Amino acid sequence: MSETLSPPASPAHTSAGRAFEASSFIFFALIALSLAGLVWLDTGWRGIVLFGLGGILGAVFLSFQYGFASVWRRALVGGEVMGLAAHFLLIGLCAIVFIPASLWGLNAVGTVAPVSVSLFIGAFMFGIGMQLANGCGSGVLFSFGGGSGRMVIALPFFILGSLLGSFLLPTALEWGSAGPIAIAGSLAELPKTALNLALIGGAGIGFYLLGRRRRQHLPAALIIASIVIAVLCWAVFALSGHPWGVTFGFTLWGAKIAQDLGVPVESFTFWQWSGPARSLQHSLLSDTSSLMNIGMVLGAGILASISGHLTRQNWPSGRQLVAAVLGGLLMGIGARLSFGCNIGAFLGGIASGSLHGWVWFVLAMAGSFAGIQLRPKFGLSK
Amino acid sequence: MTLTPKNIYMIIVLAGTILLIGDHLTSPALTAVGSPSELGNACAPCGAPCIDTDTK
Repeated sequence: MSETLSPPASPAHTSAGRAFEASSFIFFALIALSLAGLVWLDTGWRGIVLFGLGGILGAVFLSFQYGFASVWRRALVGGEVMGLAAHFLLIGLCAIVFIPASLWGLNAVGTVAPVSVSLFIGAFMFGIGMQLANGCGSGVLFSFGGGSGRMVIALPFFILGSLLGSFLLPTALEWGSAGPIAIAGSLAELPKTALNLALIGGAGIGFYLLGRRRRQHLPAALIIASIVIAVLCWAVFALSGHPWGVTFGFTLWGAKIAQDLGVPVESFTFWQWSGPARSLQHSLLSDTSSLMNIGMVLGAGILASISGHLTRQNWPSGRQLVAAVLGGLLMGIGARLSFGCNIGAFLGGIASGSLHGWVWFVLAMAGSFAGIQLRPKFGLSK
Repeated sequence: MTLTPKNIYMIIVLAGTILLIGDHLTSPALTAVGSPSELGNACAPCGAPCIDTDTK
């Protein structure tokens, strides 16, 4: 589904290629084991399981090439909408657990973020960025883990953009906001879940029927991937107490690096809010998003090592690397202004019954359309 | 060792790991992994504030 990785090439299984695969597997495995030891010492089994879930998600996304950017592009350019139906299948499965969490006996709550002017601007920016970088939040992570040269460039700029976005967000929130809005928020758990599932199902079935009308086929692998990822998202939700999120980890990494370089990050308003301030003061391995992101990179890296993905990576052209820089920056700033990416806002928001998730979807889709028009300027196909 | 793109990639991953371990060893650790939403004034794990109540 994603185009972030190069197609297989024959040199992968030369003796040099095999030696690189073996050494890179040992390299990633040693890093994973070392970090797992540190996580175990501080946060025990809960930290280890979340770290492991991140790793499994990275391996699953890489093996199924489960992405968002290329699916949305195909829908907008070629009218291929079955991938969108699969995305709504994933969201619907998550919603069954996220919205009525208390009925399942879970001590967890969904992601309900504000519907604000910053959300509209940020989601649109994110949509442009994900088409220029050829991947979204999760796509950048698993493709980076898989050795994608494009993502080696996009990720640092995603982190930088995310940090800049954290500086901008408090001001952007003053441009206007209706506050967090839960769809059917005044209803009891069951009718609220039913109404949200009807909306999600309506979108998913609508895309499926449109695809069938256009004689398109929903691949079984896509259905299986959506179900597997949904089960993993349930586990993350139950263990962490909230839906899976990716981009706050990037923001935190950027803030920590900036602090090391002497930037007084802690004096900015965002980092004085108690949640982010707590994350900034403590270890990166103590933050759920950061911990799972690291796991995702390592999980994808280990799988890429043993499957030959790493040896098949090619370095993109100069213009494509410029697109990765711009895409990373736009996604970073956009994610912070719009409270997440395809995972935290689109998947987590809609599956939690939050209106901001739907707004994010529409605006990021509009941004994707704009980004697709820019792709040829950077040597990328529409 | 020649500096091929693959080797540069490995160096970046190694540098990131060293930074990460350095941060871990020099920062106070928590006994429980957590996210901003668990502190009460964030409506989402990304740190999005509940701006209809209190943002500070």
